[in-house]
Amino acid sequence: MARIRVGPADEIRPGQPAFVTHGEIEIAVFRLDDGFRAYRNRCPHQQGPVCTGPVSGTLVATADTDWRLAWVLEGRVLICPWHSMEFDLDTGRRIRAQSERLRAFPVEVESGQVFVQVGPRSAASAARQRA
Amino acid sequence: MTRDSRKPLGLDDVFIVDCDVHANEPPEALAPYIDMPWRRSLELLGRGPQRYLDIPGYAPILNLDPPFPDRGLGNRTVTSARQMRDELDELSIDVGILFPDNLLKIAVFPHVDYAAALGRAYNAWLADAWVSRETGLYGAVLAVPQDPKDAAEQIRTYGADDRFVAVYLPVAGLRPLWGDRMYDPIYEAAEEMGLPVMLHSVGIIHPHFPFNLEHVESRIVRHPINHEFALMANLFTMIANGVPVRYPDLEIVFTEGGVSWVPFCMWRMDKEYAEIPTGAPFLERPPSEYIKEMYYCTQPIEEPERARDLVTMIDLFDGRDKVIFASDWPHHDFDHPRKVLNMPFDAQLKRNIMGETARRLFKLPVPVPVA
Repeated sequence: MARIRVGPADEIRPGQPAFVTHGEIEIAVFRLDDGFRAYRNRCPHQQGPVCTGPVSGTLVATADTDWRLAWVLEGRVLICPWHSMEFDLDTGRRIRAQSERLRAFPVEVESGQVFVQVGPRSAASAARQRA
Repeated sequence: MTRDSRKPLGLDDVFIVDCDVHANEPPEALAPYIDMPWRRSLELLGRGPQRYLDIPGYAPILNLDPPFPDRGLGNRTVTSARQMRDELDELSIDVGILFPDNLLKIAVFPHVDYAAALGRAYNAWLADAWVSRETGLYGAVLAVPQDPKDAAEQIRTYGADDRFVAVYLPVAGLRPLWGDRMYDPIYEAAEEMGLPVMLHSVGIIHPHFPFNLEHVESRIVRHPINHEFALMANLFTMIANGVPVRYPDLEIVFTEGGVSWVPFCMWRMDKEYAEIPTGAPFLERPPSEYIKEMYYCTQPIEEPERARDLVTMIDLFDGRDKVIFASDWPHHDFDHPRKVLNMPFDAQLKRNIMGETARRLFKLPVPVPVA
């Protein structure tokens, strides 16, 4: 398990992830309302640089919205720049295809500095790795 | 040293021909190559506002959708041969066959002379600034459907240039469909010059069948109709009017429709032909036999839940030497070559799809063997 320093927490702004690399693995750290999430910068679809895409919201129409279009999850939807696959930054899961997910890494904040833990995939890819 | 045959083929182990990449041609780039008075038109268009593949009078897309944030769907462009070569290198692609961006919609223009002039300018621009055997970027001669006689002249002119290896037949907004006898001069010239014709569509919603989709809300409804349905409609007319019979040495390629619609076309046409043979009086064999002799580009490659179903699909039309890789780079729905290479094809089928079949089809130079 390696502990990688990302940088000062207050320099990571919503929608503007910080990137670090560990060997061949590129990791992006995103700020959400309740903390940070770290994901591998590789889309499970065609391995595009997913974390370089915009962070936005998405359209849904469900029984909860009375089957009318609604704009939801603003600031939580990561859109892959290659094929526009959408991922929920809170969980790393692909929206509307829950079995696909981004590889997640645990995040820690210590003395105002953000760190990510990079280790064996099984432990690291847990859905929610809150800081 | 030879590679370990037990290891799966990697991108660097195969010769990759990409049968569909797009060169962006803004109006101001073509202006120096077009005849008067159209040069004035392109100069004016070049000074005006331009949206992505959406330029009135040049790339008429009739975009009726409300926009939403960050849904640009790619909007990537490649504006020089150098940029294209660098980006294809990143994708491990050895050879690219060039198609236009804006002029994918050239078939909708009612002004015949303008359309023909645009086609001539595009071909001249490609020859001057893009195609080169050294860089592996090859051209497809744009055949303007509104003026088949002029298109035939273009095919004979550029067909003599070994940097052009195909003829591009625009599909989006076409009327009549490519089986019509008015296009015979184009097929005659392509066959004479030994150039395959490549039908290629694009996502527009006007003005003719099967593109009159202006009433359809959803893009995921429109997109397969204006691509796959359009290719199917053109294929049906080409079969019915005997294009593969009357031009037996002409190779026909379908681009940007994937492959899973091919068996349907074979079996449906065979059934129609059995019942109404007078509907296709040119044919000497059942329609499926001609359809099996045509070529189909992979993009957008189907991604079935059971990937091996794609192998079955290709076998249904005896397509092991008829399916050829295309990425559609840099468009929003491009396929990375890794996606196709990692399908559960056997090694020979992978080599065929990724480049060997296209190398033979387009008579490309034999590549230096990969170590």
